[in-house]
Amino acid sequence: MGYTMAEKILGAHAGGEPARAGDVVVANVDFSMIHDGRAANALKMVAKLGAKSLPSASKTAFVLDHYSPPPNIEAANTHKAMREFADAHGAVLYDVGDGICHQVMPEGGHLTCGDLIIGTDTHSVTYGAFNAFSTGVEGTDVTAVMATGKLWFRVPETIRIELKGALQPGVWAKDITLTMLGRLGAEGANYRALEYVGSAVSAMEIDDRMTLANHAAELGAKAAILEADAKTLAWLEAHGARPPRPVTADPDANYVDRIVIDASALVPQVARRHEIDDVVGVPEVQGQKINFALIGTCTNGRLDDIRQAAAILKGQRIAKGVRMIVTPASRQVYLAAAREGLLEVLTRAGASVEAAGCGTCVNITGHLITGDGDVAISSANRNFKGRLGNDKSEIWIASAATVAASALTGMITDPREVAGGKWTAGQAA
Amino acid sequence: MNTHIKSRVHLLGDNINTDTQCSSKYLPGKDNAYVAQHAFEKTAPDFAARFKAGEVIVAGKNFGINSSREQAVHIMRMMGVAAIVAQSFGRQFFRNCINNGLPVVECDISDIADGDEIAIDLAAGSVTVAARGIKRTVAALPPAVQSILAEGGLIAFLQKHPDWNAA
Repeated sequence: MGYTMAEKILGAHAGGEPARAGDVVVANVDFSMIHDGRAANALKMVAKLGAKSLPSASKTAFVLDHYSPPPNIEAANTHKAMREFADAHGAVLYDVGDGICHQVMPEGGHLTCGDLIIGTDTHSVTYGAFNAFSTGVEGTDVTAVMATGKLWFRVPETIRIELKGALQPGVWAKDITLTMLGRLGAEGANYRALEYVGSAVSAMEIDDRMTLANHAAELGAKAAILEADAKTLAWLEAHGARPPRPVTADPDANYVDRIVIDASALVPQVARRHEIDDVVGVPEVQGQKINFALIGTCTNGRLDDIRQAAAILKGQRIAKGVRMIVTPASRQVYLAAAREGLLEVLTRAGASVEAAGCGTCVNITGHLITGDGDVAISSANRNFKGRLGNDKSEIWIASAATVAASALTGMITDPREVAGGKWTAGQAA
Repeated sequence: MNTHIKSRVHLLGDNINTDTQCSSKYLPGKDNAYVAQHAFEKTAPDFAARFKAGEVIVAGKNFGINSSREQAVHIMRMMGVAAIVAQSFGRQFFRNCINNGLPVVECDISDIADGDEIAIDLAAGSVTVAARGIKRTVAALPPAVQSILAEGGLIAFLQKHPDWNAA
């Protein structure tokens, strides 16, 4: 019997031979990430361990993105401690405004195909877009890795998801993951690794592939891994990554489930208020009023998301009574969007463009708070009641295209029905 | 770590989010002792007042779902939770428990009620509620995981085995 990508990568890092689902291995970790939301706990665990040295701290990124900028003394002090620790131990520091951890990790060239990566964040699964096994952990785990270079892993069972055909213009990776959430339910892939393959994945640009891997977190997945191709290798080389070691699954690998989705049949999707797996096609809720539109986050704050929004809002004005915030995922994304004139397009249309960070996802910096009865539509990944700081408001989740189209009309709108809504990645906005 | 646990059951439901029920995520500046006094009160009023050190939590599916802060496990350890038996666990929460020496058992929990006397044999892999005639076999944890639990968690384990040799 053959092996899945997860079994091969974990096995290769635990001594050479592929591992089997269900095995527990102690494996060498290639790179780690700690963000400011979990750093205080991680540094407590470092102190508790009391190791004489932390040889793998230099293979760790410290990212100041959640409390960016810090809204209180506690967060500002965590930032101070992170800067001091990074200085003392040679960790790589990404400071306030540099960007969201899941964007700066690949942009910084910290990972490559075949790698084993960990991060103190559920959405650390994002790096699977680059053919790596990457998963979310906690402070004790990163402490162990900084001290020993290794960590224990249970090798997960895998679900193989084949996306046949081609996505229609105006339909995005976000719509695929929302479809999966509707089918499997939140946590429906708990403990599992996902392999995303097929023509619709190959056709995606890197930005959209990152959305596909990232959003697997809402399915509860331990990892989501895509195959590497020429686009992957060119992107990694351009960002100074280490030499790639691409991994593919064997044809006779063992899967707990195989799912085939006809990508060409998908329409834009939306997760309704409060529940990420209450998913319907946009046409079913067309006309639902909104008054807050958010584009950003580690799920959909990349250049192609901003290009899509700008293609819709170019020369237009968002609906009266709607406020809109756009947060580029990183400083590099911000600069690229500025160079292309997209920030001017969005600002003229009535949106506020913020410095890069996690702010658009959750009411962590205190400035996104919603009023009673407000209805937000967001390109983020979670819509629990109160996520934006008010239990009496609601959040609907959709692609950047659907968010921009909805901001334009003031109601949930199919992007394919507005000018610019059928923009596709790979062409100028 | 004791591999035989015999104590009283505190029953909780499905999809318990330990970030919202047992961490300071939405209580900025509050310490673990404060959060412990209010743990799980949104689903089980007076939980903290009724819970005594050495007792067991029994819960439904997806216990500890979502981002699952490690702090929740630190607080449960502070409260003296001896073990958690659940239909299923959130992936990260399960990991956090092992890393902090808190035994977790995945097991069918049907017919187990609040206040029952439960016996857990971690080594043999069994869960028993004698008064109800329940005896269920559960998969024993892999040896590497048992070694980490036996030392009281991953930090203590690495202090003793910095080369991971006992894992």
